[in-house]
Amino acid sequence: MANSLQRFGALALLGLVLPVCIFAEDADARWLDVEFPHDSPVLPVSFSLGPSTARVRGMSMALDLHASLVLRNTGTKPISGLTLRVEAQDLTPSGKGSVTIPSLNVLPGEVFPVRIDMELLRPFTVAKSDSAIVQVSLDCALFNDFSYYGPDKLNSRRALIVYELEARRDRKYLANLLDTGRLAQLREELNFGLPDFTPEQLGLELLRLPRTASMREQPVNVGAVSFPSAPVQPIGGAAQVSGNEVRAPQIEVKNTSQKTVRSIDMGWIVRDESGKDFIAGSVPALMRLGPVQTGTMTESGTLRFSRSTGQPMMIGALMAFVNDVEFMDGKLWIPTRIDIDEATADPVLRRALATSPEQQRLADIYRRKGISGLAEALKKVN
Amino acid sequence: MRREKAAKSLHPAVQSLALYSSGDLPLIARWRIGSHVARCADCEQQVFLFRSATVELKREANTQTLTGFEAIADWMRLEREMLGNISVGVAAARCIDKVGRDHVLISRVALVLGLMALFVAGWLTHIPREQTGHLAASIRRLAGMERPQITGTILRTTPDGIAVRAQGATLTIMHPPSAVVSLSGASAVSARYVDEETGQVTITKVYGQ
Repeated sequence: MANSLQRFGALALLGLVLPVCIFAEDADARWLDVEFPHDSPVLPVSFSLGPSTARVRGMSMALDLHASLVLRNTGTKPISGLTLRVEAQDLTPSGKGSVTIPSLNVLPGEVFPVRIDMELLRPFTVAKSDSAIVQVSLDCALFNDFSYYGPDKLNSRRALIVYELEARRDRKYLANLLDTGRLAQLREELNFGLPDFTPEQLGLELLRLPRTASMREQPVNVGAVSFPSAPVQPIGGAAQVSGNEVRAPQIEVKNTSQKTVRSIDMGWIVRDESGKDFIAGSVPALMRLGPVQTGTMTESGTLRFSRSTGQPMMIGALMAFVNDVEFMDGKLWIPTRIDIDEATADPVLRRALATSPEQQRLADIYRRKGISGLAEALKKVN
Repeated sequence: MRREKAAKSLHPAVQSLALYSSGDLPLIARWRIGSHVARCADCEQQVFLFRSATVELKREANTQTLTGFEAIADWMRLEREMLGNISVGVAAARCIDKVGRDHVLISRVALVLGLMALFVAGWLTHIPREQTGHLAASIRRLAGMERPQITGTILRTTPDGIAVRAQGATLTIMHPPSAVVSLSGASAVSARYVDEETGQVTITKVYGQ
């Protein structure tokens, strides 16, 4: 008995000491590296890790990183948007992250800040490496003429172009409201005085695991939400739904234009058991589609929905809409404001469809600086 | 008659007669009292009584001694008594020994339970729930209660950020509570918010393959 106790004590002590020793070793490792190509039109001016910390959490080490970068546009063209790739050696190659700053409009020579707040939970058993635990690098920088720089490993260029097109559309729309004195409509667009229009937060879980059909799954038809001017129209589809999970959704689409389509970004709307609609997001997929041709888009993963409180959100129905279309000539189509207005009678859903990153930024300016600040911001870019 | 009267007036003391009866007087006194007893019927009777009493005492004493001897002579009974006493003693010793052992055992069990409680409390407060679930699943798989699951990538949103878990590690890109999260591609989840410090719209994404 005494020997057993001694052995137990020794193991417990080892269990306590070992993580601390490994933690000390990890704490000595370089936490974060910022790597930009020498010929990059965007270069870091300064970099700091601020109040970053490392601590033991169970049998893992938790790195709490708060990186602040100041970047300079060293090129000759204004930068419209930028995506930085965040890679942790422990997750490579399966997982990675990114930070995108759209609607930048940074002129040559100007500097701008980028903040990255992240937490990395890494087991003590991971192999040690000479490189930094987290690496931040440039994935894509988009200029205002839609040219770009960067390896674009995350297909950021397409997203940055869509953000820029939406920004130009919304700036023009809001500037028109301002110029014509339709301030009540402007306030409504910028979400003032309409708290009920704020969409409820969703919890998402995307499982990239091989899964088989369960007995509880029910086939559900996917409805179509059409934008009148869209070159590609959703026709209908189906998905397997089980409680708060959607598996293998697919949607048939038809190219109604005379141009060949290269890729389609399909948006998904989820309706809960009480009839409320939520935009779950969008999934771009390469799909070569000739004029008047039809095709089927399929998603292989499993999506699980929950409410902001963490409770499962039971799925009542699914709908799909075409978020944007890329043609073979490289041009992109995005819905107009009229398209969005005519797509749905639900004001919450309409607001969710219309709120671009730029509109979100302008709404924040309006909230902080009022109408004069908004007018100045619109004048600066337009 | 006068002679009997003179003998009576010279009667020895009772103690001397008692000593005479037991033969404990010196030689001269014994001769003198013996001469008297031989001539005095009363003293002779008294000596007889003393002697009878002495015999009775001795006999009684002998009887009592014999009773003890008789007990000693009963070896079987004596053995039973001794064995009984030894058994009682041993049982008592065992009882005392057991009481001590129980006390030590309870102390050790309490110590182990205390350490286990400390371990459980430490586990609950320090180990993330997902790791606990992962460990439980591993144990279930080892026990054959669950089929082994192929390791994959999981993307999820949390109140504080969006996370990708792969190869046992989890990367979470943090965002404020106001962020709008959405699916962003076949294997990505994004969060969009306005950075309070910079005023810039920031879109964070995590990717899994």
